[in-house]
Amino acid sequence: MSNDTLISFDNVSISFWQNNMGVHSIKDLITNRKNPFVNKTILKNISFEVKRGECMGILGRNGSGKSTLLRTIAGLIKPQVGKMTINGTFAPILAIGAGLELELSGYENMHLLLSLYGKARKNTNAIQSIIDFSELSDEVLRMPAKRYSSGMLARLAFSISVANDADILIIDEVLAVGDQGFQTKCMEKIYQVKAEGKTILFVSHFPDDVMRLCDTAILLENGTISYRGPSKLVCEQYNNLF
Amino acid sequence: MQNITRIYALSKRNVILRYKNSLVGFLWGFFKPLLYLLILIIVFSRMSGIDNFVLYATSGLIFWFYFANVTNQSIASIIASAGIIKSLNVPVAFFPLSEILSELFNFMLTIFVFLVAMNWFGIVYSPKLFLILPVALLFSFFTLGITLVLCALNVFFRDVGILWTTVQPALFYLTPIAYPENLIPTHYAFVVKFNPVYHFIKLARTILHDNAYPSSALWLHCIIIATLSFAVGYFVFNKLKNQFISSI
Repeated sequence: MSNDTLISFDNVSISFWQNNMGVHSIKDLITNRKNPFVNKTILKNISFEVKRGECMGILGRNGSGKSTLLRTIAGLIKPQVGKMTINGTFAPILAIGAGLELELSGYENMHLLLSLYGKARKNTNAIQSIIDFSELSDEVLRMPAKRYSSGMLARLAFSISVANDADILIIDEVLAVGDQGFQTKCMEKIYQVKAEGKTILFVSHFPDDVMRLCDTAILLENGTISYRGPSKLVCEQYNNLF
Repeated sequence: MQNITRIYALSKRNVILRYKNSLVGFLWGFFKPLLYLLILIIVFSRMSGIDNFVLYATSGLIFWFYFANVTNQSIASIIASAGIIKSLNVPVAFFPLSEILSELFNFMLTIFVFLVAMNWFGIVYSPKLFLILPVALLFSFFTLGITLVLCALNVFFRDVGILWTTVQPALFYLTPIAYPENLIPTHYAFVVKFNPVYHFIKLARTILHDNAYPSSALWLHCIIIATLSFAVGYFVFNKLKNQFISSI
């Protein structure tokens, strides 16, 4: 593996225990007398490499394993089979609604996520950049996040993601709910991050975005990579799926 | 260092979330055992035949409440933090750990208030009272072990949590907190002996109520129970933690 390879997957497979007998209680467990958990493979023989500064798109139908792949790359899921090497730090994956604590206010969420991410507690620069980027007012940021609209949640989530100057930025369909102005702003920010030479993993259902932003892409189908290559070709294959 | 910041941030979140929309907030930590004490005094104080019932019951109660609060609050800690677990690479053990730490802080405050308040109920102040700190530490390891098992199993079978709330009152009444040990019929004594919480309560009470040095046999019992509980908890949690993300 060369020095500028940030992510490398070599025949990685991920499987989970899946509770496929509807066993949700101890009573079911005793009356069924069978192992309620079945090992279900989510990702099969995944191999790819991402170089420093590369922007890779990830395409695929709903349920094809995109989120599982992202979580594996981010180290949230440990692969049982295969070899995975990561040389860099991650910004948190904040898909819509995940990661934010809905009972906490916008400010409290920022502090919590920045600390969990490993930033110093009193990181006023990062906080200020989140406030500026999200364009949410002080009044809104004092409100519990449960009262936010989905667009406001996406603003907060995306702003926290990009405030962590990590080596690898993971974007998981966050852009779908923001209004026109914010979507444009996000895309500009993503291009800026790309121009800074950082690595981006971009999940989207819009092949046009992927084609414009990404150099390479992979297409996931039923947990395996069916196509891998320049983003334009992969996007064509994606369009052929439907 | 980074991990300390992360556990601190999670503990702080626990405290904020717990007392959100509550009028007296963290003072519930004192009111709850106090209300319980009142009930125990009304029901048990005459029949127990203990001279200093308040000191006797309270020294057991504060330890029991620490145990009950930690287990109750941690049992759903993994499930409740699903959002964070699915988006940030934070060791999952931090979630129950942050719960026990925020409760430990509460517990230390309670012990301090207890020591001051028991002045009116005949506590004897002596350097012996400092022994309560190692007892609290041992008890914390014991509690952490139980907690790790409970919250790991609860991810896969939600009825562990429901079962625990049912088993808990039974465990409370099987522990001689509000009544003296000699009230238990001798042929049932083994039930109490098998109750791990009993040994810790006895250890604490020997120091706080009896104003005596606990026997080395009792210390040894507690050290063994705490180590065993922690080891089992650690083992079970580590065995299951990689599968959490598929079930939350």
